Amino acid sequence: MHTIKTAYSAKTDLNDVADDIKSQIGDFETNLVVFFASSSFAPEEVSSLMAAAFPQAVTFGCSTAGEIVSGKMLTNSVVAMAFDRQTVKMAKAVVLEDLSRDSYDAFKTLEQHFNKPMAEMDPKQYVGIVLTDGLSGKEELIIDRIGDLTNVNFIGGSAGDDLKFAATYVYANGKSYTNAAVLALIEPVGDFTFVKTQSFCQLPQKLVVTKANEAAREVLEFNHKPAAVAYAEALGTTVADAPNHFMHNPVGLVFEGEPFVRSPQQIKGDSMHFYCSVVEGMELTLLESTDIIADTKKAVDAARQELGGISGIINFNCILRTLELGQKGLSNTYGELFSGVPTIGFSTYGEQYIGHVNQTATILVFR
Amino acid sequence: MAGKIKQMIDTIINQRAKDNAMLVGVIKTKLMLKGIDPSKFTLQSPDDPAIIAKLEAVIKDLK
Repeated sequence: MHTIKTAYSAKTDLNDVADDIKSQIGDFETNLVVFFASSSFAPEEVSSLMAAAFPQAVTFGCSTAGEIVSGKMLTNSVVAMAFDRQTVKMAKAVVLEDLSRDSYDAFKTLEQHFNKPMAEMDPKQYVGIVLTDGLSGKEELIIDRIGDLTNVNFIGGSAGDDLKFAATYVYANGKSYTNAAVLALIEPVGDFTFVKTQSFCQLPQKLVVTKANEAAREVLEFNHKPAAVAYAEALGTTVADAPNHFMHNPVGLVFEGEPFVRSPQQIKGDSMHFYCSVVEGMELTLLESTDIIADTKKAVDAARQELGGISGIINFNCILRTLELGQKGLSNTYGELFSGVPTIGFSTYGEQYIGHVNQTATILVFR
Repeated sequence: MAGKIKQMIDTIINQRAKDNAMLVGVIKTKLMLKGIDPSKFTLQSPDDPAIIAKLEAVIKDLK
């Protein structure tokens, strides 16, 4: 019998939070605990108290810009998912403490723990979770390097701080870290799959990146024109009005009909800055927002059909989706999509699956 | 000269995916995100030195 349990606490004292979550998880042979905590909680304390509450388990997580638990979207809370030994055979979380260093260093520890080279691991047997400092701007470096080193799929999100944009934290085994990433490798007993869902349709307008400062996520030119001018022309509006369209009209790198969304952050001069890397030569498609609720339901239903049932969901949901849902009064409806299934998640500053994306929910689904 | 880019892309995909259809899609997506669209190159595509250099870097990273 596979068992995944979830808990959440909206208490304000962290000792009470840890006790609350521990009592909800109950008498359970916990092997792994994944948790996401509002940035209202002290980082070092939240990590150490969660590790102390589950001394026999691997614990890891990060700070958030809002939390998700079965049936609810929350703020100022801690959400947790516990796995027992009948659900997760083995798990290990390592920390990449310096994001300028090669991920291979962290992989060595995972290889020693699992006694197998990462390059030889079966992607149907193992799954990775990556949680990154959401203000580091280093997500592409990390997820690209992971993809170079292994065929195991890593999914995850960039830590948040409730839109303060001051500092974000990742947590592992009782400690907290900034300018760091947690790489966790999990060997589940049952099947699992991935959902990458974004609610956009493709418009006919194409924007080819003809000049970019890739390290700064800055596009200088689209279609050999100043980037802001070309984007505004594609929308049929002015450069001054263009930022009003960012949320509803991002751009996407489209592969076999599937967009990998790149969200504009701001216009500076004639350049456009993005929340995601843009590489010279990329052909981007102008996108237009559709229905987050309907699209997410369809994607989760497809995963349920594929697996023949769902016993747990971890949802890395972009903060821009959370904000759009809030504006439309649909936050509760979105939370309810995950009622009846043990679910945790958080509002992220970026999402990862194969690459780094924006305005997307990347979701790990367990059978 | 033509076709080298297509050959390099096929080598990368074959070495990593080893005929696993799911992995073929993942590797192609990874290449897309690195700025190389596999569907844009055929055996008739000219040997663009800039793309070849990018692919050589990818091959080195994959080792």
